[in-house]
Amino acid sequence: MSNNRPSPPKLAVQIIEHLVQSKWVEEVLGDLEEKFYTTLESKSLFLTRLNYWYQVFNYLRPFAWRKMSNNSIYTTMLKNYFKVAWQNLLKHRMYSGIKIGGFAIGVAAFLLIAMFVADELNYDQHYQNKDRIYRLLNVYSDPGNSGMGTAFPAQTTQIIKDNFPEVEKAGRLIPYDWFDATKNQVRRSDRIQNSYEESFAYADQVLLDILEIPMIYGDQATALAQPKSVVISKNKADKYFPGEDPVGKTLILNEDKDKIYVIGGVMPDFSAQTHLNFDFLLTLTGEEFWPGEQTDWCCWNYNPYLLLREGTDPRMLEEKLLLIRDDFILKYQEEQGNPGVEDTKKYFSLALQPITDVHLYSEGIGDIIPHGDIRIAWLFSAIALFILLLAAINFINLSTAKSANRAKEVGLRKVVGSFKGHLIQQFLTESVLYSAISVLLGVILAFILLPYFNALSGKSLSLSLTSWWLIPMILTFILAIGLLSGLYPAFYLSAFKPIDVLKGSLSRGSKSSKIRGAMVVFQFTTSIVLIVGAFMIHRQMQYILNKRLGFDKDQVLLVQGTNTLEDRLDVFKNELVSLKNINHATHTNYLPVSGTKRDQNLFWKQGRNKIDKAVSAQLWSVDEDFLETLDIKLVEGRNFTDMASDSSAIIINESMAKAMNLENPVGAKIMNFFNWKVIGVIEDFHFENMKENIKPLSLMRRNFGSVLAVKIEGDNMSATIDQVKHKWDEFMPKQPFRYTFLDVAFTRMYEDVQRTGSVFTAFAVLAIIVACLGLFGLSAFMIEQRSKEISIRKVLGASMLGIFKLMTFNFTRLVLVSFLLATPIAWYLVDQWLGDFQYRTTIDPLIFMISGLLAVAIALVTISYESIKAGRVNPAQGLRSE
Amino acid sequence: MKETGLGEFEEVILLLVGILGQEAYAFKLAEEFEAQTKRSVSIGAVHSTLSRLDDKGFLTSEMGQATASRGGRRKRIYTITASGERALQAAKDFRVSLWRRYPTLGTSDLPMLALPTD
Repeated sequence: MSNNRPSPPKLAVQIIEHLVQSKWVEEVLGDLEEKFYTTLESKSLFLTRLNYWYQVFNYLRPFAWRKMSNNSIYTTMLKNYFKVAWQNLLKHRMYSGIKIGGFAIGVAAFLLIAMFVADELNYDQHYQNKDRIYRLLNVYSDPGNSGMGTAFPAQTTQIIKDNFPEVEKAGRLIPYDWFDATKNQVRRSDRIQNSYEESFAYADQVLLDILEIPMIYGDQATALAQPKSVVISKNKADKYFPGEDPVGKTLILNEDKDKIYVIGGVMPDFSAQTHLNFDFLLTLTGEEFWPGEQTDWCCWNYNPYLLLREGTDPRMLEEKLLLIRDDFILKYQEEQGNPGVEDTKKYFSLALQPITDVHLYSEGIGDIIPHGDIRIAWLFSAIALFILLLAAINFINLSTAKSANRAKEVGLRKVVGSFKGHLIQQFLTESVLYSAISVLLGVILAFILLPYFNALSGKSLSLSLTSWWLIPMILTFILAIGLLSGLYPAFYLSAFKPIDVLKGSLSRGSKSSKIRGAMVVFQFTTSIVLIVGAFMIHRQMQYILNKRLGFDKDQVLLVQGTNTLEDRLDVFKNELVSLKNINHATHTNYLPVSGTKRDQNLFWKQGRNKIDKAVSAQLWSVDEDFLETLDIKLVEGRNFTDMASDSSAIIINESMAKAMNLENPVGAKIMNFFNWKVIGVIEDFHFENMKENIKPLSLMRRNFGSVLAVKIEGDNMSATIDQVKHKWDEFMPKQPFRYTFLDVAFTRMYEDVQRTGSVFTAFAVLAIIVACLGLFGLSAFMIEQRSKEISIRKVLGASMLGIFKLMTFNFTRLVLVSFLLATPIAWYLVDQWLGDFQYRTTIDPLIFMISGLLAVAIALVTISYESIKAGRVNPAQGLRSE
Repeated sequence: MKETGLGEFEEVILLLVGILGQEAYAFKLAEEFEAQTKRSVSIGAVHSTLSRLDDKGFLTSEMGQATASRGGRRKRIYTITASGERALQAAKDFRVSLWRRYPTLGTSDLPMLALPTD
């Protein structure tokens, strides 16, 4: 057959030969070949071959399947293995149930966590050029004051484009509360009613290109090219322009006639798996926030994203990027006579972060985006593996423990001619059968638990039977788990010598009790570590929620969007304060919870800006009621008054007084761009996440902002809120009343901690359940083995308590050993985790004691059921049969 | 007990077996089916139906000769049995009886157009 005539695909032919009944094979292959050459006359070879495959798959129907021939020794034995396995499974329902149940829980836990981790790892993986997209970071490595950030002066990207040919594109993003970024009132310019929207950002036109944002309407190449253009998400397009093409239509922000934005395009909603999520991208084209802003090196507000050319080494580029420091930042500082020049030279550098790393590797980067943490992903993966391991140990322990029951079978099989290999095969088949049942149950369990897990973890994972990976994964799981956990029992059982077994001289399953003990210790060590972890996370969360913050977060109502009241704001505020339950209200954008406005400034003692190192501090615009509304303590000096002279008065916190080295802070004169006179010092209060130290902060008196924080006295919250709403409706009938609570916003800052805690607790509970299932099985087995001994002891006068002690002593000892092992491991891990927090709770030995006691108690309860049963049984029953 | 009813696809295949005579084997039947109905069908589907009709006793089969275009493999020629013929007839009669009761659109009630005759 050396002619060049094309022939049907070989593999497909083989499939037919192997899978189709032999009586059909000839005609089927004949028919298919005729079809092949007929098709070839009118179609390309590729299509013909494709069609051949299609035909072959259509032959895989029940009628054509090769029947398992019944006389092959292999299939007969396999059938027998399954039959015996099934009989055994039914005969020892309790033990089978424990093996299978434990495995099912393990598989479900593993599956859920695997989905969680896969979801985390999938962030920002969808870009075609994902290997070339980078986020620019500034790194400050002064040992005493190190940090990383994402913001740069406006000109940075332009300079990069002009100087570095290896950068293909560079664009800027402003994602944080700055001018119109983040929150706005918005309406179609041809409608009256405003809506409140929260996800605005400023972006360069080229950023659409770098981040590969496609357009549903409009042209990606020009969507943000015109000044005052905006790109909106599909979701918002459907909200504001249902059924229309919104390109060219206009939106007005905050009732500001200067802020009429023309829609340049509609983008699909951002995927949940990216670190960015916006509904409105306002263009930076032609934007200048104050005269000269675009060329000013004073202020760092732009996040640059770069697309590098193929083959660019980002590390080399980082070196070259120091040009920005040397030629621009240093030059600006020298011009300003800033004494920090030397430090900048020494400590400042630039880094490129691959976009794929942003979600999981941004610990320590101040970019206000909620992040995952690679360490949490690792931690959870480890927990998943451990739970699976615990379940496998149950399986191994119970299989070997119960081996005595199978010993006779093994002996007999060997006598009639079974080789060791056959027996190994038999027991592996058996364990694969168990694992198949467990994995299927586990997958079902995962399906059932998924909604709860989503609620717990704050994700929206979905598991669908049609996911391409599910079936192969289930099969792999069944084989892997079945083989791995079956291996030891298989070798153990198949090694029995027939002569020992049949003579009855085999010690009944106690031989490997040391190994079994070690496995129980392993299970309980893992469980205790998890319990301690869950307790400690909970304790840290309680610590955060109850820590003296330096302000009072409770009963503070945040009325949003008050900037639209314009000049009636003070009237509104005064009317609220005149209500019965309201004494204080303050008007500001700056609040001591993450995600509200921030303004970082450099301060010096007056006249020393060319001599001293600058102190970096927050400068918040607040009104004179800020301190009283939030109950912040004034340590020295006085609060603002509405005197005109207070326009240059400043209040600082203790950290700032210390950082600036002010001995007599009140009355001290300090400066940033302006000169200030310190009139008061306030106690430090936590205005950022407790992962960070309390930093220097200063307050100046201004009266603007979009939030009115209202302190409500007494316990009649809902009635008071109704009154506030009533007032609002009088003032602003066209704008809906929106409010949140300060303590809710505060708690939200620590959502990640809370989530980690609850996921951890859930899996600690699962681990304990699996471990206890195993312990229960083992104890039941031990007691079964010793039933004669127990009966004789009872006949000779042992009390029930005595029997109970005897039966539980061994296991309790194992759990105590586990406790001793678990303590240092848990201590180390918890210490690592707490290291993230500048403000942290202590590691309390009591928690270890409680966890240990809990484990012992749970273990005791588990064992005691069988032990008490053993103690109560009538000795005659145990002795009757022989 | 064997099922003796005929499905629509079965009926067509059975008819085609009768029509094709000595050429009634799975590949040809599939080709013919596609040609007549303009519906695509896989050989496997036809084969599975043939085997089912065989089980029901409507068809018998035997191996025919080989040809070069089949790589020297023989084909299985199907022939319709007496009970197959009966099943086809029954299916047809059933339809005809239903058609008789079907309300006509009145063609027979309308006066025939009388063509003018010279």
